[in-house]
Amino acid sequence: MAVNGLALCDRREFLRWSAAGMATVCGAYGGARAAGATDEPHDAFQEGNLPCVRAARADAVIWLCMLGGVSHLESFDPKPALNKYAGKTFSATPFDVLNQRFTNKNIDNMGSKEGPKHESHILPLQVGFQKQGESGIEVSDWWPCVGRRIDDIAVVRSLWTTDFQHSAQAQFHTGRPVRMSRPPSVGAWVRYAAGSRSSRLPGFIVLGQPPSDFGGGRTAHEASYLGPSYAGVRLSSSPTSALPFSPPDSRLYAQAQRNEFELLRQMNTLTAQGEPNDSSRKARSRAYELAYSMQESYPRVLDMSDETPETQQLYGLDEPVTEPFGRQCLVARRLVEQGVRFIQIYHGGNPNNDNGDWDAHQNVRENHGRMCPRVDKPIAGLLQDLKRRGMLERTLVVWGSEFGRAPNVDFRTPCGGPDFSKRMGRDHHVFGFSCWFAGGGVKGGVVHGRTDELGFHAVEDRHYVTDVHATIYHLLGLPHDRMKIEGRQRLPDDLGTPIHGILA
Amino acid sequence: MRIRRPWKIVGALAGAAMVTGAILVWKERTSWHRWTAPDFLIEAGEYADPAEAAYLSDVKPILAARCYKCHGAVRSEGGLRVDSVAAMLRGGDSGPAIVAGNPDESPLIAAVRHADWVSPMPKDGDPLTESQIGGLADWVKSGAIGPQNERPDDPAAAHWAFRPAVEPTLPSLETARKYANPIDLFVAAARQEKGLRPAEPAPKELQLRRVYLDLVGLPPTQAEIDAFLDDESSQAYERVVDRLLDNPQYGVRWGRHWLDVWRYKEHDGRKSEKQTWSSSEHIWVWRDWVVRSLNRDKGYDRMILEMLAGDELAPNDPDALAATGFIVRNWDRHDRNVWIDQVVEHTSKAFLGLHLNCARCHDHKFDPISQVAYYGLRACFEPHDVKTESLALGRARETLPVTFVSDVHLDAKTRVFHRGDYDSPIDNIKVVPGVPEVIRGSGLLIRPVRTRDGGSSTGRRLALARWMVDPANPLTARVAVNHVWMRHFGAPLVETVTDFGLAGSPPSHPKLLDWLAVNFRRSGWSLKWLHRQILTSQTYRMRSCSPEADAANAEIDPDNRCLWRMNTRRMEGEIVRDSMLYLADALDQSIGGEPLDHELAETTNRRSVYYRYSQEDKPQLLEVFDAAEVNECYRRHVSIVPQQSLALCNGSFAWRQAARISTRLSRDAETDDRFVLHAFRCVTGRCPSETETTLCLGFLNEQRELFSHGEILPASGADGGEPPWAASDAEAAARTWLVHALLNHNDFVTIR
Repeated sequence: MAVNGLALCDRREFLRWSAAGMATVCGAYGGARAAGATDEPHDAFQEGNLPCVRAARADAVIWLCMLGGVSHLESFDPKPALNKYAGKTFSATPFDVLNQRFTNKNIDNMGSKEGPKHESHILPLQVGFQKQGESGIEVSDWWPCVGRRIDDIAVVRSLWTTDFQHSAQAQFHTGRPVRMSRPPSVGAWVRYAAGSRSSRLPGFIVLGQPPSDFGGGRTAHEASYLGPSYAGVRLSSSPTSALPFSPPDSRLYAQAQRNEFELLRQMNTLTAQGEPNDSSRKARSRAYELAYSMQESYPRVLDMSDETPETQQLYGLDEPVTEPFGRQCLVARRLVEQGVRFIQIYHGGNPNNDNGDWDAHQNVRENHGRMCPRVDKPIAGLLQDLKRRGMLERTLVVWGSEFGRAPNVDFRTPCGGPDFSKRMGRDHHVFGFSCWFAGGGVKGGVVHGRTDELGFHAVEDRHYVTDVHATIYHLLGLPHDRMKIEGRQRLPDDLGTPIHGILA
Repeated sequence: MRIRRPWKIVGALAGAAMVTGAILVWKERTSWHRWTAPDFLIEAGEYADPAEAAYLSDVKPILAARCYKCHGAVRSEGGLRVDSVAAMLRGGDSGPAIVAGNPDESPLIAAVRHADWVSPMPKDGDPLTESQIGGLADWVKSGAIGPQNERPDDPAAAHWAFRPAVEPTLPSLETARKYANPIDLFVAAARQEKGLRPAEPAPKELQLRRVYLDLVGLPPTQAEIDAFLDDESSQAYERVVDRLLDNPQYGVRWGRHWLDVWRYKEHDGRKSEKQTWSSSEHIWVWRDWVVRSLNRDKGYDRMILEMLAGDELAPNDPDALAATGFIVRNWDRHDRNVWIDQVVEHTSKAFLGLHLNCARCHDHKFDPISQVAYYGLRACFEPHDVKTESLALGRARETLPVTFVSDVHLDAKTRVFHRGDYDSPIDNIKVVPGVPEVIRGSGLLIRPVRTRDGGSSTGRRLALARWMVDPANPLTARVAVNHVWMRHFGAPLVETVTDFGLAGSPPSHPKLLDWLAVNFRRSGWSLKWLHRQILTSQTYRMRSCSPEADAANAEIDPDNRCLWRMNTRRMEGEIVRDSMLYLADALDQSIGGEPLDHELAETTNRRSVYYRYSQEDKPQLLEVFDAAEVNECYRRHVSIVPQQSLALCNGSFAWRQAARISTRLSRDAETDDRFVLHAFRCVTGRCPSETETTLCLGFLNEQRELFSHGEILPASGADGGEPPWAASDAEAAARTWLVHALLNHNDFVTIR
């Protein structure tokens, strides 16, 4: 009996077969399952249970998500036509964007009661742009530092999604609008299928403020039906409050706790003799070990005193504007060094703004002009730092946002008064937007996919958001089309297809 | 050849080396296609014709295992069914599937042979084996003869859960005299079949802790443990069960269980703008109705009637109106379709154990539920809307705003949406309120009823609820019994708790499930009857581990599906928190009222169910211990993650309770020995072993030593006073640390 035939059968069944001498359990992990792995991937994804294991190109993922909707037009997909047709309505341009085959009911959201739908005028680009790097990819002037790293980046300009509301934030991470369902997030699938390489830290760590409930809430890093042990563990990047339930800063406490854990270890060993088969007791003992080591190891990750001032400046730790996100990016690099598999950093999450701070309805220039400098330097610093340490080759960095912003002026938000010419914001845009990848097995300095002249529809090499997930699975050596478990249906769109055009 | 029972055929097949493949196929496929006691075999009687016999032994089983899924009663792809000879001869859209006497011209044979002029079959799984194909071809060649009057197979009609539950006869066992409770007889019978030896009864003190935590969510006090250990009478345990069922904390504990199933969620929306987007600010009135109803042992049937149609059943009874919170909870400010579809989905999951929602976009893939049937059920809810009025509630007749349901849109039309897309209604399909044919039972008897303000209500929801609780409904009682069983045993009888349909898993103990369902109904749908029946069984009172029996049993039944021992479970977050408070003598056991801010759960002492619970806001300690997902939690996940350990080993809540417990226990424990004994019994409900005592005494010494050392000064507590872990009195500090260690012991959070 071939091992392949057992691909999806249950683990116990598999072991029974192997006990019968028909197959052998392969103990070594291949691909993403690097030697020395400590938190094993779920049984179904262990070597021998998978039909094929591609060689992994990346060991770790850093996922950067800007909440609220970054304008693709004023970041990585600049459209000079917007300047040319500024002030005109869509129908006054030669491009019939409202009646394309990609147009769907979401188009109705592009207007408001006060005006003819979608017929507000086109807003010119709110910032300049220029060719960057040797590849000459055009990047807006709000992203100067990332622009200088463009030769390490593969820009995908042809994403689309469906949820017009900010709950697209959850959709971006799970592939489903929250109203339909809340399946596991991309990070949870990775943690589930690839396991973790760190014995002292959780395998899937979340930094930054998650989306509000309005944006789908913690769904964006939850594990849903995979079980909460695969969910992202939300940690703080502030050295003063590193852990939930962190220990008091006291040597006495630490010493007393050491005695306590020793007592617990001994007592648990005693009860173990009476219950040889109690797997939860073993798991709990391990959780205590991990908790104990995290108390020590995580604050050490946050302690930047061993980073040179030059490195700290690279991430912008010396400037108040860049310090918060810069610290998270630097922590992410340090977590990768510790073997953490998936680090998800949210930017723009705000308990007092359900939408996410990137939501530029009223004034793109004001909003993005303020937001971009907070992340541009830190992200570029992260890429540069990973590269010079030789880590970028095996670390995949993914940048994205739940959707882009519309080419025309925002109709829905009556800010700027009745005079449309004073309105400077853009509404949500689901029909075409951008994301990018860097490192771990992707080409640098390439653009993949295209939107139309106005940046309205993705028209070439269109990718639904799950293709971003599939690309990650693929690069980690995981079979993207097997990311499912028995009893839970996943349709082809849920599973996505790797974006082959950007693979190195 | 005389064949009476299906298993004879299986036996006959096993004898023939040629068809071993078919058996393997069966085995492989049982996960999705249960070939339930096929009628065609039982009714066929005698078969004189060898071709007919060949059909039944070599052909039909292969077709059933590999082809019926797509070409059977539930789906007939390409218009083709292969579940009777006549149907195969008749064929589908592209003509007959077989040509009698000519296998080479028969598309079906060509398909399994992977000939190039038809699509290869079966579409999933391995191709048929040579011998299987040979069997099919030979049978076609010999004239494709089948039994006369062959009835096409109807897996749905035969499906266990769609058949009425009838009281099964009790198994007759040699050991029957040992078992007074029918539960034990059924379980023992299943065990015997597999050669499993049951574990012994759990030690009395463990039984007591188990049943306390199960019924009221609080551990027994030392006095209660002592009284129970001293009570030698035969009914001592039964009396405990009765007393606990009478304790109002039972309603609080089981209220939370049912609120998981019924998806309790407090209002949420856009906080920054103070907007409610879903549920209702007054939804907690329904939470209190649940607790109250359980404590009064209101019939489960009556609870369903009130929750789905309290306004139609008893329009002038504020309590019945409050019960409709079950529906109100789904209110969605933005999308009425989403709101009503949620009601349909979860009414069907919670009470019927059916994934009716699969049929929202297309006919159900597994169950015989058409898309139109989905909208038929939806039509029952189409006219409703929510309303808020001030009503006098409860025994105190306190006037409170209550949000409830009533039929407002009397003319609302239900339309079928093409592929479930709300923008694509299909106008030429007429939808009438109805229920899926396959479990029709008594059907819907819809009569309009008068409302509280003298108007009219369609009576559809009331009819639906009545149909659910009608004895002819095969699902409602079984589903409820399964939910209760799961929460007592840590594992359900039917693994797929929300799917009793064809894609669900079969019950581990079908007769037991039916016996419980029938008698639950007979008891007047009394949940307390059901609890008592389960809790007083020997099955429930077994040990959770039994080292002597373990090795042999674990080999046969590693997952304990046959219940040869009790399962160990972990406390839910609510129980972790409430038990600590209770042991600290600090728990406020008052019942009901407006929710408290979720952050107050750290510092105040109400039972956990009384803190704000919405998608975003839940008490942190509960969340860490896998609190119910508000959107759907028919069964809680149980995770073991480091945050739980951190919450218990560093969290200030655990420290405060440890200090309180230690102070309380120290009052009558002068010596260390006594303190260790008391602390162990208090926290784990059992006595420490000698070695454990020694370890604990050593620990007390160590900590005392450490804290009497004046050199290292503790940091001050948050409020400026000394933190609970660093009492200035070294003796007190050491004792607090011991209690704290025991709260972190596996035996505290584990229900053994």
